[in-house]
Amino acid sequence: MRADRRLIDALRDDLGCIGTKEGCSIGVCGACSVLVDGKLLSACLMPAVFVSGRAVTTVEGLARGDELSPLQDAFIREGGFQCGICTPGQLIAATALLAERRRPSDDEIREWMMGNLCRCTGYHGITRAIKAAMA
Amino acid sequence: MTLAKSTLPDILETPEWRVEGRDKVTGAARYAADITRPGMLHAAFVGSPFPHARVASVDVEAARKMPGVRAVLTGADVRPARFGRRLQDWPVLAWDRVRFIGDRVAAVAADTVEAAERAAAAIAVEYEELPAVFDPEAALAPDAPVLHPDAAEYTYLGGTRPPRSHANMQGHVVHEHGDVTAGFEAAAAVFEHEFVVPRVHQAYIEPRASLVWIEGDTVHVVTTNKAPFALRDQMAVTIGVPAAKIVVDTPHVGGDFGGKGLSLDEFALYFLARATGRPVRSVLRYADELQLSNTRHAARIRLRTAVDPNGRITAHQGRVVFDGGAYAAGKPVAGLLPGGPTLTLAGYRVPAARVEAVAVYTNTLPAGHARAPSQPQHTFAAESHLDLIAHAMQIDPVELRVRNAIRAGETDVEGNVWHDSQAQRVIATLLAASQWGGTVGLDHGRGVAFSARHVGRGKTSLTLTLAADGSLEVLTGVADQGGGAHTMIQRVVARELGVDVARVHVRRGDTGHANVDPGVGGSRVTPVAGNAAVDAARKLKARLGELVLTLDDAARTAAPLAVTGEGEQNEHVFGTYAYSVEVSVDRATGCFRVVDAVLVADVGTVINPVAVRGQLEGGFVFGLGQAVMEELRLDDGRVTTTNLGDYKIPTIADAPSLRLVLITDAPGPGPFGAKSAGELANPAVGAAIANAIDAAVGARVMSLPITAEKVRAELAKREGYAPTSPDGTADSTAGRR
Repeated sequence: MRADRRLIDALRDDLGCIGTKEGCSIGVCGACSVLVDGKLLSACLMPAVFVSGRAVTTVEGLARGDELSPLQDAFIREGGFQCGICTPGQLIAATALLAERRRPSDDEIREWMMGNLCRCTGYHGITRAIKAAMA
Repeated sequence: MTLAKSTLPDILETPEWRVEGRDKVTGAARYAADITRPGMLHAAFVGSPFPHARVASVDVEAARKMPGVRAVLTGADVRPARFGRRLQDWPVLAWDRVRFIGDRVAAVAADTVEAAERAAAAIAVEYEELPAVFDPEAALAPDAPVLHPDAAEYTYLGGTRPPRSHANMQGHVVHEHGDVTAGFEAAAAVFEHEFVVPRVHQAYIEPRASLVWIEGDTVHVVTTNKAPFALRDQMAVTIGVPAAKIVVDTPHVGGDFGGKGLSLDEFALYFLARATGRPVRSVLRYADELQLSNTRHAARIRLRTAVDPNGRITAHQGRVVFDGGAYAAGKPVAGLLPGGPTLTLAGYRVPAARVEAVAVYTNTLPAGHARAPSQPQHTFAAESHLDLIAHAMQIDPVELRVRNAIRAGETDVEGNVWHDSQAQRVIATLLAASQWGGTVGLDHGRGVAFSARHVGRGKTSLTLTLAADGSLEVLTGVADQGGGAHTMIQRVVARELGVDVARVHVRRGDTGHANVDPGVGGSRVTPVAGNAAVDAARKLKARLGELVLTLDDAARTAAPLAVTGEGEQNEHVFGTYAYSVEVSVDRATGCFRVVDAVLVADVGTVINPVAVRGQLEGGFVFGLGQAVMEELRLDDGRVTTTNLGDYKIPTIADAPSLRLVLITDAPGPGPFGAKSAGELANPAVGAAIANAIDAAVGARVMSLPITAEKVRAELAKREGYAPTSPDGTADSTAGRR
């Protein structure tokens, strides 16, 4: 693989994992958020070669078979998405948050999720979903 | 969230489970950029570096020879193809003249994106610069450079283009009703103010994407366009292929907010696909989204209103100048103005009015539709204007609105008589919910804003089929842009038939399979497609009645049983809504923060409670962004906010809490009494905040976005002058007669 090939392109074009979305292409919108060895990263900024030998988690890896994760279920029940384009990134970021802090405060949710833009929900549904998932 | 009153039990009381929910949370949902075809090529474009120039020559020889390049096209290859939603004035590739920075002159199809972009960079274009005009008022001067000298050649879809008095006008309209002169002569006071609203972008997170291929004599289009049938019909005219031979498929749309009714790339992709015999795809980079696509119109709005001694409006005048940018192609409405161009005082009784609106060509990126076209501009102006009037007349701002908010049987600013109005109730509910009139802290202030938005109008149809296994399938052409249309249709059909929602499956069809639909927009989907869903369910029940069969028996013995549901909504009905917003302001810096917000909205019967809440909460934050932080800045026609780092939209940390109070028991014309919600929340946020800041510290900001710098500048002005100006505005032309 070429050294300048981005992780987002490797995921989407080479591996067919189209769940990860590209929005701004400069690491500010968070649509392309993935976990690399559990750490939250933007796949539009990360050269794919840097993740060689490391575990990459995308939205496709959140459900266990047919069973949605508590966050995925809560995003549907609480209105955590509308158009859904930012949702893979929101879910990945929220998954990382709940791995880091079992019961984050409202301020901790706001601080952590600041890097994931959503134009549809006004974020209220996302906050409700995260709180419902940790309940 | 509080529901003021609710009358319906059953399905509608249960929060919905989005039909596409599982796909959207697992990554399975397909958007246009996720779809590929074998042998697919990638497109790149060459855009003009000049805002206005003659294209002298385009040299593509070097580009054609580059590795991986399959086709290079210039304006000469596509001439005279132009595109647009109503007026087709935008060349697919410019052949003689470019009219804004980024206007395209050549297109490449190559094996990879990189190869296409390298080839595009190797195309040499010679331009001869022409005088450019960036200010709409300057463009209306008698000797201004004319952007479209060949306008007579343009195709206008569906009728005849309305006349214009200047070549740089896109559209021009004057609304007049009542005796305006008498209204002004009889007035106790006349107030006049001017407001400025900048360009903003819809800022959906998904950039436009499209894929075009030709199979036999059929053109296939995969697109992010939210109105696939309309795109098909526009494309038929642009490329000269019958509509029946074009199939447009819109998978999930990653956000629209009015912007994705206009397609940019699909037309050039057709010519590239025809030249190469291969599928060709284009995915816009976000920088191109911000520099090329149809933004909200910037506007300069001058309002002049006459009132009686009690502050009741007796007459109103308005002049609205919209910056239309280089092409009118993004505007779908007949007048070639953004929708509702003369709705300057929405939701008020206005016995006499004369409002003039004009959209003007300038050498800047084209403007088009954005969530509730014209209304964020007008509502910022109108609700700031009314607050200034209240202040000057020493009438409580809410009381002034109570005295003027429209009641049933009264006439609004566009001369329409309202047969029903919840306006008084919305304001009374807001008063109670916000504890209006109570005390607030030091340098805190409360602002109110009230407005109205139509319940969407239009016509659509869909099919409902009972299958042998007892399931019910709806086939619809309504695209999914995130509003929850398919879930709404499912619930309406299930409720009308008295079956479990799980038994109803909603499938979206492309333009080759589904019935014609006007597309998502104009607050139309629930009242129009929802009525079609009711009609389909009723027709199926009628068929069962004729057959004397139950649903289950019919499934066994008579399936498949198919009916077509028709939906139409042409009533002139409005939903009204009002905000109370409390801000705290730091006098030293002008920084302010929304500490409390209440929204009361008249939404009629709620079909999808989770989605309605999401539309209103999302509309509030969308409106907040465009009120306090968003501005697509231009410098001599060049966009300088070219990425989502510079063009700032709200993050989760910017979203204040919002208390919602819904009025649901005043039925509208939609299914089971539904109204609309999608455009009900965003337009009034700017004025509510401007009014709150003025109430807090006496700083009146007359333009959006309301930034700390502007608040600080107004405070400085007040500190410089004696802070006793009767109407609270240093630069206002308001005055008592």
